[in-house]
Amino acid sequence: MKKVFAALLCLTMLMGCLPAMADGEVVYTTLYASEMSTLNYLTAGAQWEQTVGANVIDTLVEYDSYGNIIPGLAESWTANDDATVWTFKLREGQKWYTSEGAEYAEVVAQDFVDGLKWVLTAANDSGVEYAVETAKIVNANAYYAGEVTDFSEVGVKAVDKYTVEYTCASPVPYFLSTLTYGCFMPANGEFLEKMGADFGTATSADTMLYNGAFILQSFVPQSQHVFVKNVNNWDAEHVYIDKIVQSYNSESATISPEMALRGEIDSASLSNDIVDDYKDMYDFVTKDRPAVDYSYFYCFNFDPQYEEEYDPANWLIAVNNSNFRHSIMSAFDRVFSLYAIDPDDPESVLQSTVTPATFVSVDGTDFSALAPFDGVADNYFNTEKALAYKEAAVAELTEAGCKFPVQVVLTYRSDMSDWESECQLVKQQLESVLGTDYINVVLYAGPSENFLSATRRAGKYSLMRCNWGADYADPETWTDPFVEKIDSETGLHTGNSYNKMDMMLDTENAETKDILTAYYAAVAEAKASVTDTADRYGKFAKAEAMLINNAIVIPYMVSASDYQITKLNVYEGEYAVFGVTNIRWKYQHLNDNFVTTAENEAAAEAWREAMGL
Amino acid sequence: MASYLVKRFLRSFITLIIILSIVFILVRQMPIDGYFQNFEKLNEAQIQNGLHEMGLDRPVFVQLFDFFKNLVLHGDLGTSRIYRAGVPVAEILAPKIPISVRLGTLSLLVSLLLGLPMGLVMAKYKGKFLDHLGTAIIVLIEAVPAAVYYLFLQFYGTTALGIGMTMFSEADLHNPVYWILPVLSMSLGNMTYYAMWLRRYMVDESMKDYVTLARIKGASETRIMFLHVFKNAFVPMVQYIPTSFLNTVIGSIYVESLYSIPGMGGLLVDVVKRQDNNMVQAIVLLFATVGIIGLLLGDLLMVFMDPRISLTKKGGDR
Amino acid sequence: MSVLKHPKIDKLEQSVSSEIKQQFSQEELFSIAPFDEAETERTGAGSYSYWRSTLRAFRRNKIAMFLLIMLVVIVLFTFIQPHLPGQFDPNAASFEVTATGQSKPLKNSPPDSVHWMGTNAIGQDLWARLWAGTRNSLFIGVMVALIEALVGIVMGVLWGYVRKLDFLFTEIYNVLDNIPTTIVLILISFIMRPAMSTLIFAMSVTGWIGMARFVRNQVLIIRDRDYNVASRCLGTSTWRIIVKNLLPYLVSVIMLRMALSIPGAIGSEVFITYIGLGLPADIPSLGKLITEGRKLLASPSKRYQLIYPTVILSIVTVSFYMIGNAFSDAADPKNHL
Repeated sequence: MKKVFAALLCLTMLMGCLPAMADGEVVYTTLYASEMSTLNYLTAGAQWEQTVGANVIDTLVEYDSYGNIIPGLAESWTANDDATVWTFKLREGQKWYTSEGAEYAEVVAQDFVDGLKWVLTAANDSGVEYAVETAKIVNANAYYAGEVTDFSEVGVKAVDKYTVEYTCASPVPYFLSTLTYGCFMPANGEFLEKMGADFGTATSADTMLYNGAFILQSFVPQSQHVFVKNVNNWDAEHVYIDKIVQSYNSESATISPEMALRGEIDSASLSNDIVDDYKDMYDFVTKDRPAVDYSYFYCFNFDPQYEEEYDPANWLIAVNNSNFRHSIMSAFDRVFSLYAIDPDDPESVLQSTVTPATFVSVDGTDFSALAPFDGVADNYFNTEKALAYKEAAVAELTEAGCKFPVQVVLTYRSDMSDWESECQLVKQQLESVLGTDYINVVLYAGPSENFLSATRRAGKYSLMRCNWGADYADPETWTDPFVEKIDSETGLHTGNSYNKMDMMLDTENAETKDILTAYYAAVAEAKASVTDTADRYGKFAKAEAMLINNAIVIPYMVSASDYQITKLNVYEGEYAVFGVTNIRWKYQHLNDNFVTTAENEAAAEAWREAMGL
Repeated sequence: MASYLVKRFLRSFITLIIILSIVFILVRQMPIDGYFQNFEKLNEAQIQNGLHEMGLDRPVFVQLFDFFKNLVLHGDLGTSRIYRAGVPVAEILAPKIPISVRLGTLSLLVSLLLGLPMGLVMAKYKGKFLDHLGTAIIVLIEAVPAAVYYLFLQFYGTTALGIGMTMFSEADLHNPVYWILPVLSMSLGNMTYYAMWLRRYMVDESMKDYVTLARIKGASETRIMFLHVFKNAFVPMVQYIPTSFLNTVIGSIYVESLYSIPGMGGLLVDVVKRQDNNMVQAIVLLFATVGIIGLLLGDLLMVFMDPRISLTKKGGDR
Repeated sequence: MSVLKHPKIDKLEQSVSSEIKQQFSQEELFSIAPFDEAETERTGAGSYSYWRSTLRAFRRNKIAMFLLIMLVVIVLFTFIQPHLPGQFDPNAASFEVTATGQSKPLKNSPPDSVHWMGTNAIGQDLWARLWAGTRNSLFIGVMVALIEALVGIVMGVLWGYVRKLDFLFTEIYNVLDNIPTTIVLILISFIMRPAMSTLIFAMSVTGWIGMARFVRNQVLIIRDRDYNVASRCLGTSTWRIIVKNLLPYLVSVIMLRMALSIPGAIGSEVFITYIGLGLPADIPSLGKLITEGRKLLASPSKRYQLIYPTVILSIVTVSFYMIGNAFSDAADPKNHL
């Protein structure tokens, strides 16, 4: 009887699973526009390529949907008092699988050592090696540069089969947040060695091993990728999609909305051009979850190197005048130009600090709302103030020998149509407020390939929208673009690759020099503060406020969330302020129909509330 | 003839070497940051190290020499660096070539099958309604940008045929129904070309004395049209066919993109932009070889069709 | 679109090159007579004027005349349009002010009495952009055609006349003809900034070689024709033979080539914009309007934004095409009688 009962129970349990099976497996299909150049998560630097690693490899820690760090492959961890030694205890019994789903080996502590060793081996030319340096791992640099040849001297160690330990050269309070990045992902050393240069090449799925929520079952370049759920994963109960099919189409931007409507795919992003129409026609146009891993800000260039016809020397005089910079900052109606980026809700992406709002917070206060930022709002769009600054600037600059109108070279990338539109709006708006007798904005199209080295790094702009992506969850990451660059031989500043402002430290220009001297001192002070988070953040805020209040940079926006039609509820997924976490499918359900606008807004509201925003 | 062919082959070979060298030197003029995925975050030492690993820090002529050495001694085209990192170029191209060849051949066939009868009819009814209708069709196709009518064909054609918009899976790629629209799209341009050309040559040919003579002899009009006029008018067109095939393959970028056909159409643009030098080099080698052979083939076809033409005669076109 | 090479051109090249050429050594056959300018111009023909007859023949083609007039009207209108009342700057975004006092671009507004063709995604007037775009595209087309013709003719004449250069030029031709244009375009976009001059340069940098080869073939053939040999015997200078005897012979075909290369260049511009190497933001062009319009195909109520530039482009292409054909027919003296 007992046996019969047990059998029945088994049957019911099986039946319990059946409804899902009866409906067929849950398959999520999409189009993708460009093929990955590599599957290898130890080198992939572009977000699209990191989609593979994020979903097929488990990391030591993970995030929940609200940005809290939760255990991943590591069940628990400890740090020493000054945050330099981090010890992780691994979940036991986790396995590596081949693309066919066959068990290959157990996931052990040594895999983390082997993964990092691969990244730090210069010959592998890993695209994410820089992130190891960010985490300040002992001897990481030295090993990469070949100064240390014994990998055991590098600050990573498999203490026992299930314990991995990282040692940092100096205190790294944000260490956990760096761990979801590709360079800290594990790799089976024996397999790595066996595959050699073929590891993770974008040819087929069997070039890698998998231990994550999904297994890449097949990879046919420029045709199709198929991911299947890893039923043996420790967290398989939180994976609700059975299969993901990605099909290649380089025109997907044009045809994917139509294909989604025809039911051929489950998700498509909508370009700004067609959003309006789709909103009028359908009630399921939704917005992707906001991301704060990139910040965009307008830079004034302190080392203009563009053609003589635009008079770079004249710009150099003008840009060193505080009233001139303020006049442009005050005249700049950022919301107006943001209509080119997010036509529907430009204010949702607007930022008043370089560090995006909600990036980090301390004691319940968001970083961007800390005391040093009080009053930064006064710097922004205000026509009257702009004209007052203009008057003052004209008086001072005329004396300094500056010619009017000042040519303002506004640079953008020629193949990015939204950016191109934005620049047209900026030009029109600035000139209408300040007058063409004062400034003449020149639209300067940069090449579509190698854009940054041809424009920003080469100093071919006077005013330009620049952006920086966070490397770790700490405000220090937003000071990195402006860090001083000094030539070791001459001792002179060569200029950071953003606005080259540090070069002003070597000039006689007293005003700008004083501002920058104070700024770099403030940054140094903030970096030195490692134990008290509130103190550290406060000092970084103070430094950043100096840049804004002196109109050295004009904070602008965070990445605009795509409009899309999709069957996924984007707010269910893992969330982090930086890293590959955001592109994980884990935790997400595939709905039968497209998520409606109302449902999306409700989910957004609930999410913001839970996040305390 | 044989000595002519040998000479011509030798000369083509030299041309090929020059083309490869020029392209090799040209692509190495591109800025170095295209070679790195995360140039933004790298420091000078890392960049130098990367360049060294890629062998790009050596003088360009040394690199060029190595390229030819590997190519000639080992038949090695190198590996892709960015497009599909670490994969031998030949391995990437191998599955693509047959697909492009299939697409190119099919659309060439269709365009000949549609274009020749069209031109024939137009020539036969010169100045009449059918001629004008044909001209109108030709002008319309030539006038509307391909980028536009391809899209319309896809949007409405797939609905009409009741198929998916793209070749979503491997199965679709082998389903003939899915090939209808891409092939049709690509053949339209060539079709107008053949029709227009054939009509022109046939009209000119039909005014020649031998046609009048045939008529006087009492040959039927159909016989004159096919046996004399068409045959002679077709000769100069034959030369164009191999080149047209190559152009079809290179020009398939729009169509391959729209229908997710994994051919070679957009490949060149893609790899040049992404600075995958070995890939660029291999594709140029392939295209230039086909181009040069195409020219030769075209000439030979012409000789074959019309024994009056001799390639070895001094003072020809080339 | 394969409009660049045309059956008529090939036909001409073919027919002329199949002529038998003979090498005469003039000194062997003739003795030198003193040069008499008046004598060289004396002919037996009556009041035949080549150009007048050409025009007369052209005028007889009704469709071509109609298209020519339409083309002229379009070209004139692109210049007149900015000066009409109620016109917008093609680059200026119209905007409205919201309740909160925020300026907001008037995006994608449908055609009405103010914006005759509506506005685009950032509020720019499409009517103004269409005409500015047509003007710019035509300018690019004409410039490319002129440069190709000029460089092509000069190089072609050199190539054909100077025997020592033949091998060099032939090799250049083979090489240039086989280097994919895409590589050249992309490289140029690295070296030079996106601009109208860059685009024109990029398109003509390889385009001239086709014209040069054609001219060279003609020169080779015509150079040794009987009347030229005769002319040389009479002491006419090489220069004069080229200018008086040779180039007029080529005029009709050169004109045809040019007429066809204008729409060809406009078509290439569409392609170049498609692969992302187009003109800068403040220079509208047909290629740009079409590329922008393509994105709207998925949006039924905005498809009209794609239709307008396509229609204009089609009209321009057809016109040049038909006019070029009609003109080359008319320029053939055989059709003058």
